[in-house]
Amino acid sequence: MMARPHLSLGDATVFVLVALILAAAVFGNLLAPEATFSSDIGNAFLPPDAQHWLGTDSQGRDVLWRVIAGAAPSLLSSMLVVTIYSLIGVVVATLATVVPRWLDEGLMRGTEIGLALPGVIVAMGFASAMGPSLASAVIAMSITGWPITARLLRSITRQTMVAPYVQGAQVMGVSRFRLMTRHVLPNSLDVLIIKWSGDVSITILVLGGLSFVGVGAQPPSAEWGAMISDARSYVSTAWWTAAAPGAAIALTAVSFSLLGDILQRRLGGAGASGGARS
Amino acid sequence: MFDSPAADPALPNRFAPVRAAAPLVRFFARRIGLSVLTLLGLVTLAFAMTKFIPGDEAQVAAGPDAGPDQVEAMRARLGLDAPAIVQYLRFIWRLLHGDLGTSIVTYQPVLRDLERVLPSTLELVAITMVLNLVIAIPVATIAAAQGGRGLDALTRIAAAIAAGLPVFWVALMLQFLLGTLARVLPISGQRGFGVTVPNWTGMRTLDALLSGNPSAFLDASLYLVLPAATLALHFSSQLFRALRASLELAAASDFIAPVKAKGASTARILWRHALPNALPPVITLAGTQIADMLGAAVLVEAVFARQGVGAYLANAVAQKDTFAVIGTVLFVGAMVCVVNLLVDAILLATDPRLRAAELARGGRQ
Amino acid sequence: MKPLLEVRALTIDVPKGEGWMRVVDGVDFSIGAGERVALVGESGSGKSMTARALMRLDDALRIGGAIRFAGEEVLGCTEAEMRALRGSGIGMVFQDPMASLDPFMRVGDQVAEVLRIRGVGRAEAHARAVAILAELGVRDAASRSGAYPHEFSGGMRQRVVLAMALVAGPKLLVADEPTTALDARIQQQVLDLIDDAAADRGLGVLLITHNLGIVAGFADRVLVMYSGRIVEEGPVEQIFAAPAHPYTRGLIAAVPRADMRVDRLPPIDGAPPSPARRPSGCAFHPRCPVRLPVCVMTAPQLRPSGGGSVACHLAAAEEAMA
Repeated sequence: MMARPHLSLGDATVFVLVALILAAAVFGNLLAPEATFSSDIGNAFLPPDAQHWLGTDSQGRDVLWRVIAGAAPSLLSSMLVVTIYSLIGVVVATLATVVPRWLDEGLMRGTEIGLALPGVIVAMGFASAMGPSLASAVIAMSITGWPITARLLRSITRQTMVAPYVQGAQVMGVSRFRLMTRHVLPNSLDVLIIKWSGDVSITILVLGGLSFVGVGAQPPSAEWGAMISDARSYVSTAWWTAAAPGAAIALTAVSFSLLGDILQRRLGGAGASGGARS
Repeated sequence: MFDSPAADPALPNRFAPVRAAAPLVRFFARRIGLSVLTLLGLVTLAFAMTKFIPGDEAQVAAGPDAGPDQVEAMRARLGLDAPAIVQYLRFIWRLLHGDLGTSIVTYQPVLRDLERVLPSTLELVAITMVLNLVIAIPVATIAAAQGGRGLDALTRIAAAIAAGLPVFWVALMLQFLLGTLARVLPISGQRGFGVTVPNWTGMRTLDALLSGNPSAFLDASLYLVLPAATLALHFSSQLFRALRASLELAAASDFIAPVKAKGASTARILWRHALPNALPPVITLAGTQIADMLGAAVLVEAVFARQGVGAYLANAVAQKDTFAVIGTVLFVGAMVCVVNLLVDAILLATDPRLRAAELARGGRQ
Repeated sequence: MKPLLEVRALTIDVPKGEGWMRVVDGVDFSIGAGERVALVGESGSGKSMTARALMRLDDALRIGGAIRFAGEEVLGCTEAEMRALRGSGIGMVFQDPMASLDPFMRVGDQVAEVLRIRGVGRAEAHARAVAILAELGVRDAASRSGAYPHEFSGGMRQRVVLAMALVAGPKLLVADEPTTALDARIQQQVLDLIDDAAADRGLGVLLITHNLGIVAGFADRVLVMYSGRIVEEGPVEQIFAAPAHPYTRGLIAAVPRADMRVDRLPPIDGAPPSPARRPSGCAFHPRCPVRLPVCVMTAPQLRPSGGGSVACHLAAAEEAMA
């Protein structure tokens, strides 16, 4: 598809949503009233009303403010995870491109191990080893997430390394490493950004799931998965305590996934969607 | 590429079945070899994990009240006093004998535990996969026929949203809405009170069918509805999006106009021509989805209180039952490797170009 | 007698941004039963668009004017009537045989599909598919019909495509650059094959090509198209012996001939205009070696000249003086 210069209504909505969620993640903790983080049992389980738009939770805390404050641990940690493993993926793909062929093969076989494993289950294993906490979930996902990125980048570098201008530079005596960092990687940046956005969307779902089963963020953190985990026992009497953080995860995941689609359309990274895992 | 008088008559013989068998064997030998390598890497990773865990394994195994002498005795008994490389080789040796270690919680061999909890999870994943394909393929193809209008636009938006819903939250909300509010479906556990079936396969629906007990089958099926629907919603929306994109590419291929010029209807063009061409990358995706389904099943089982791998793993993690965790990770990894082999076989069977490429490759080597 | 195909004031617009872009602008021609007509022009002249419009293959296009085939108005047909027309009224051969077959279907099934769509039984459809493949020179047609397209060479694939176009017995064959993607040695073979098959069946043929060289031995009549319009039309002998339009003369000069060294080709200077920026007056004037002042201002009309017609101010002036 051709790049569309005009901002459509749908695209604008997605940009605004992403901006709002990011603002909540950065400023939410500063703006939230003190009571968001302390308990007031007397006001527990108030249904949504004019004062508490999304009601209160088991500790009498305002659910809306907790959801806003939860954007930081939920979204920023997901962004951190994807950024770390994308960098690892870049390093591995660069290595695979500049080292001898047999080592390249070995590295790519290594990525296959990563592909054969369900992220949730491996992260649970790591978390059990390191003790459950948001930090161990972040570390576990950061060191297990890179194989797909590495393979995607490697497949792109394999194509660009044979492009005429790159071959020309090679004939001129430019080293493969320099070629990689100066020419090939900058050309892969679009694809990386598109994938980053889509991956944040997936990571926030997985990270929430890990907190939900108790191997990620621990109560009383306002991380959304942990909030749902906490609210689980009261769903039948106070559904809003579970519905709100889940809706926040869904809204964030959908927004970043759509952002990825829009970036794909605008930046036109052809390789980013198809065959990413193959 | 081009006609030449000499090349043409040679073509048919190259694909004679008798000579085609050898490259196929080679193909699978290579793939199985790669799977074994992958598994070896996995095992190494798992072994490294046991070594990097903070705390003393012997201390954990001997129990918190054990004195230094008992801990040393346990260390010797577990072979933890040997050099790391010896421990590694022993670890592999034990694995080759099906010994995944002993759970410190159940005091059972991990493999025995897995035999108990795995069938229920496999049952759930299998039904999810069937639903996944049965929903995603027709919906994507029917939507593609609308070409951006009506149902197509609607399903695209619906799938984008559905793919972003956290499965554990959907599970919780379905449980609340359909179980608590509407009370139409069982929301917890996997069998009704007093319903028994023989434990042949461990999959209750299958056991009920095999023992000729329709009411038990209905019972087991009802308990599967919500967990399977939750998982299928997530994975089929993912598969739908991939297939829809793949169909768009296939429908833009040059061979579509000639099919239209034959007088084929839009439906025929889509189902008979675009779909087969669009499927291979989607089959690959469905294969990788299996690994993610096992992961998501862990979450969904937790919500619906199903006794499966998820509950076992979550419990093992909570109790720091290292061997149970590593054993489960290894076993799941092995299963995923087998599934990948299966996907390769399906692709080879359905994609004539891939078959030709593999045969030609086998011939050259 | 009514002609088999009659095209009047055909216009084709393609969607561009918010609006439309006209790529074919008022084309008239007709083809009689059994007549061979060649539509010649450079790429971008609109000739392929014209061919595809006859069968309404592209939904996104806006087609105006009239296309009458065997007395029926094609542009007024319902989708069901179009499906009946495609294949059994008009058959079509496409440019790139490597890309015009479904890689996932056996070639025999692809040929038989044309008949299966029309309710012919599986066994009979297959038998007829094998028969026509054999007729078109596919050796071992019975066993080869079970092969997939990638197992065929380019020339063999074009035979399969031709079989698909002919198997349901159309009255008109549209061949869109049928030899362009083929190896030079195969081109004549495929062209002869189309020639023989059309002669045996008494088919009308519309041959779309940029290469006047393959037209001489094949067509009865030639249409020369430039920038969405027909600029010259006439019997094949007249076009070659006395081309009236400077563009036609350029095309003929560009035909490689056995008695000429290849590097002596005098090509027409410049490139054909994009439909988005069609020059004023005669669209050919920026490249025309014999341009008159009037050519920049007004577009010449197609008017009778000799046995055919031509749209050129100079040709009209010369005729007026003669």
